[in-house]
Amino acid sequence: MTERLPSGADSAVAAADLRWMRFDRARVFSWAQTIGIIVLLAVIFVTPGFLAKPSILSFLTTVSFIGCVAIGMTLITISGNIMSFALGATVGVTAMVFILASNWLGFDFGLVVGLLFGSLLTGLQGLMIGWVRANPIIVSIAALALIHGLAQAFAEKGTIYADPGIFPASVKGKVGGVPIEFIMFVLSALIAQFILSFTRFGRNLFMVGSSFRAAEAVGVNTWRTITGAYLWAGFFTSLAGIMLAVRYDAANMDYGVAYDYDAIAAVLVGGTAIGGGHGSAVRTFAGAMVIAAVQVMLLLRGLRQEWQYLAAGLIVLAVIILQARGNGR
Amino acid sequence: MKLWHHLNGPHARPFAVLAACIVVLTAVDGGHGQFLSAATAYSTLQTFATISLVTLGLGLTMMIREFDLSVVGMYGMAGCIAVLTGTHYPWLGLWLALAIGLTAGIVQGLLIVRLHVSSVGVTLGGLLVFVGIAFVLTESRSLPYDNLGVALLLNERIGGVFSLRSVIALVFFGGAAAMFAWTRLGRDIVAIGSDRRAAMTTGVKVDTLIIGVFGFSGLCAALSGVLLSYSLASASPAGLSDVIAPAAAGAILGGVSLGGGSGRPFGIAAGALTLAVLRSGLNAVGAPPFANDITMGAVLLTVAVLDGPYLARRLISARRALGA
Repeated sequence: MTERLPSGADSAVAAADLRWMRFDRARVFSWAQTIGIIVLLAVIFVTPGFLAKPSILSFLTTVSFIGCVAIGMTLITISGNIMSFALGATVGVTAMVFILASNWLGFDFGLVVGLLFGSLLTGLQGLMIGWVRANPIIVSIAALALIHGLAQAFAEKGTIYADPGIFPASVKGKVGGVPIEFIMFVLSALIAQFILSFTRFGRNLFMVGSSFRAAEAVGVNTWRTITGAYLWAGFFTSLAGIMLAVRYDAANMDYGVAYDYDAIAAVLVGGTAIGGGHGSAVRTFAGAMVIAAVQVMLLLRGLRQEWQYLAAGLIVLAVIILQARGNGR
Repeated sequence: MKLWHHLNGPHARPFAVLAACIVVLTAVDGGHGQFLSAATAYSTLQTFATISLVTLGLGLTMMIREFDLSVVGMYGMAGCIAVLTGTHYPWLGLWLALAIGLTAGIVQGLLIVRLHVSSVGVTLGGLLVFVGIAFVLTESRSLPYDNLGVALLLNERIGGVFSLRSVIALVFFGGAAAMFAWTRLGRDIVAIGSDRRAAMTTGVKVDTLIIGVFGFSGLCAALSGVLLSYSLASASPAGLSDVIAPAAAGAILGGVSLGGGSGRPFGIAAGALTLAVLRSGLNAVGAPPFANDITMGAVLLTVAVLDGPYLARRLISARRALGA
């Protein structure tokens, strides 16, 4: 082709080209993400020892604690409030409350009190964020400081131990070879996905997250929706706290440390948009599996635990950049 | 009435709150001389030196209606880098950490501007990466810094209440205040925070300034991290609540609005000083250590609610519901 096209045609070609590229760009980045995850999984599965039984069992328990927090975080992220920095602390403090209540009036009572406490604690933050539109990041940082301060004030020794024999044997075992924690995690993901997909609350949540003002304009009760998202987030988070307490027969504030980070990493790897309005609990389930598998793999490959933090950070940064590029803006 | 109005104005309020805190703590102390002493003043300024620079950097990003979460990670990471490289040449450690802080801040600013993403998302990634690097560098331990001369030099009392560390922080605030007073910078930053599009239309270099503010924020976080690690003669990965809570609370107490577009360097200094006074004051009158966390959380929560854009609307409808 030696002759130059007339400039008009040239720009038309360029425009078509650009449209193609923009269309393609979103595809390319979502493909990049998928391929990245596949490569990661391949590396994980060829790690020697990963598929051994003890390693799989410990993986299934670890992922359940992080996973339940991540399911809760998913609801917060979808609601358009980015993330909460207080969920990790909520895990620790709920575990403590659960053990105190169990020691007092037995396991069933402790379970109810623990779930209620965690849900209300997080729901209260949701109320402030939904009702007066308080800044979610600042509210969660304030809650983090308050929870740590109050926990220190009430539990001076730090660790609270469960009375021996207080937990029934059935909640500590396995069902069909699968740790009970993992079954709870799968159930949580299914419940959350049901709420998101099949209830009016779930539909409202997506609307509020994608455009707060539009949701308000069509008559969605925004503050109730946001408070609801935080209540459920608290519920799933307290489940993680209770499972940790049952597993170790003890509770302290170190339990939830860094769970917020792992949880948001799982949420983002699962493809939930950091800006809200888009996402799913089942995909967060997959995200949590990836994050936990990376952690187990790093340990099996002889890298110290600290590398887990760095890996989670790099994954989050990569996903955020990929999401932004994928939006084509 | 007029005086009240003046004190409650956006520029005087931080100083009024600071004065009120000092009066209350003096009253609680009740003439025991624990609070109003040179020792307390010195420890207050030491705390001020620890938190104020992070507060300044975070405050500036809040003024342009962004939020730099990564300051926490940078704070810890810079300290670890300086301690690892600066045993024999403290200046080398300092400059290396500062260069990394500035570069990381600029890179984050570039990502925010180029990708049009929220700063919370990008700096969340930054935060996790920096925290991860700090953990990897220190192997989750606290690293000792063997050059004790530097530690002594930084903490040595100057004029009874100051130290080299607090003087450096104060000089930084003086410089920032001078920039705000005598150049267009302050006006432009406030303009970006109030209405970004309008600022762009009137010819403010919005993108450049955003990148610059994030660079400055990284630099400030790195400098405070280095100064703290050198003066404690050790470095460890910082916990989230240890830094970001006081920094955010200090900036908000200093008159920076969460909606952006307001605040001044000296106001931020007053906010950080208020927190420092509270911390060492509570310490001096014998309050338990968790009182500090609780105070800070309560302050942050109160301000977050008071700053909520729907608060007025909700109060009016609540009043109506009660009246009817």
